[in-house]
Amino acid sequence: MLHRRIYQFLMIYFIGFAALMLVKYSLNLSDYVIPGFTEIGIACRRYFGLYLLAVLNTLAVAILGHLLSICMATVVGIIGRLTIWIGSFIRVAAYNIQAYPIVAVAPIIFILLGDGLSSRLLIAAMICYFPLLLSIIGILSEPVTEIEHFFESTRRMNWQLQAKIRAFENIHKLMTVIVGSATLAMVGTIVAEFIAANAGIGYSIRIALYQSDLAKILVALFLIGICTSIYLVLLEWLGMVIKKRIGSV
Amino acid sequence: MQRQLFDHFGLPVMGLILILILVGCAPETEKPLEEVSYRLKWLYNISVVGDLYALDSGLFEKQGLAVNVKPGGPEKDAIKELELGHAQFGVASADQVIRAVSKGSPIVVIAQLFQINPLHWIYRPDKTPLKTPQDLKGKTIGVTHGGNDETIMRALLAKYGIQESEVNLFSVRYDYTPFYQGKVDLWPLYRNAQAPIIGAKLLKAGERFDLMDPSKMGIQFVANSVVTTRKMLEDRRETVQRFIKALLEGWREALDPANTETVIALILKYNKETPEEIIRQQLPATRILMMPSAKFDFGTIDVAAWQQTEEIMLAQKLIPVSVYVEKLLKPINE
Repeated sequence: MLHRRIYQFLMIYFIGFAALMLVKYSLNLSDYVIPGFTEIGIACRRYFGLYLLAVLNTLAVAILGHLLSICMATVVGIIGRLTIWIGSFIRVAAYNIQAYPIVAVAPIIFILLGDGLSSRLLIAAMICYFPLLLSIIGILSEPVTEIEHFFESTRRMNWQLQAKIRAFENIHKLMTVIVGSATLAMVGTIVAEFIAANAGIGYSIRIALYQSDLAKILVALFLIGICTSIYLVLLEWLGMVIKKRIGSV
Repeated sequence: MQRQLFDHFGLPVMGLILILILVGCAPETEKPLEEVSYRLKWLYNISVVGDLYALDSGLFEKQGLAVNVKPGGPEKDAIKELELGHAQFGVASADQVIRAVSKGSPIVVIAQLFQINPLHWIYRPDKTPLKTPQDLKGKTIGVTHGGNDETIMRALLAKYGIQESEVNLFSVRYDYTPFYQGKVDLWPLYRNAQAPIIGAKLLKAGERFDLMDPSKMGIQFVANSVVTTRKMLEDRRETVQRFIKALLEGWREALDPANTETVIALILKYNKETPEEIIRQQLPATRILMMPSAKFDFGTIDVAAWQQTEEIMLAQKLIPVSVYVEKLLKPINE
């Protein structure tokens, strides 16, 4: 699974890279607009190690933010499922907050939390939390009539059992949502670093952009892609393990 | 014989003369305007007032040009657009130009807009008295990592022999909260565009402010200049001349105190978000940075300042080797 993901990512990356080179050499553009092989090679030698550490730093925050979002979305999703009014209120609130551009909210977050880890974590969680929440509310609000009917008629139904039934019956959907939101967590962390932090690959990209250094950005994009692919594979593997365990119960 | 000739050719010749007279008397058909694009460095604000003036008052059209003035922004790079052919003229800072040329970009500088770099540092003189550069020691100084304010500050520290360990360089972003909270002593901003806004807030809070100008401490780091491609200058020199003529005229008129009210109305037309009272403070600040004296020849390229900018970039290893910056400077005679 890992090698397939990496292989697919490398294909996409190098198709994009080849397109850039095609534009560069066909239009005879300077290294300032699109860097040549030599410059990319130099950037790779100089910054690979540094950027790898930065990407790992970002990935660590993204994983933390993602876990936080999953926990919060599960709790709020269960509460939101309880009554129609609360569910509808949470959904509307989620849609509204999701509509805010994070760059506009960021100054408020800095005032409240400063520009350290907590701001990065919160922004990452905000970007991946709401899509996750909406999906989880949707899944947990959908009755599995044929099973729930039995427990209801025997008066053994409680909220924990209801949540378990609905989660179990929709485990494929849940896993897809969780894996999908992992990418959002990574994007969220990078965005947070771009506007708020002093560490991580988003911060390094910001500096490279100030210096119009596309070679550094290409190195950063390569590492982000590889690390995100590894994280996604890990999540898919975890999903398979969970499904197998549930299947064997 | 003569009569025969007249009989044969007289009428047609007379007719031809009549046609020529009529054509000569007819109104001259208008030559179509030559279309060019001009990418600014930033959004429509006080720093592009001359560009907007030239556009709005028809100065480009008088020179036979239809100029598409495109606003800039943080991710817009005029030099890249010139190379890609999306624009024929643009505004770029000296560090951008030098960096681009060191990577083989075929661009030249045809006029210099800012004579003093608008990048200053705001501070509270009551809390942070700054009489000499040595007073920077022990202070928390805001810099944008990777930005040219970082380059300028590092050059300043190096010039006065201040070790980086003797100051605390604080990474800044768009948000001024750390400065308002007093966590940072000096904060970088653009003197003409941002200082009136931030200064007004400080005054409202009962705090005095002052601005640290690196040029007064001997750091000449050139800011915005007008650039074009070498090819454009060689192949369409006459177009470049007409463009520069209109542009510089626009800037001179925009900075003329006699045109203050027209200029404020113009800015408000293009930028409705900035209050008029702020624009009234921004305009004189812009004049000082662009026209150091009343008789200054607007657009003059300060070769020595360009050379110092290159030296700073070389010293900080922002470029690997010299680009011989004087070779890029091609002032256009109007």
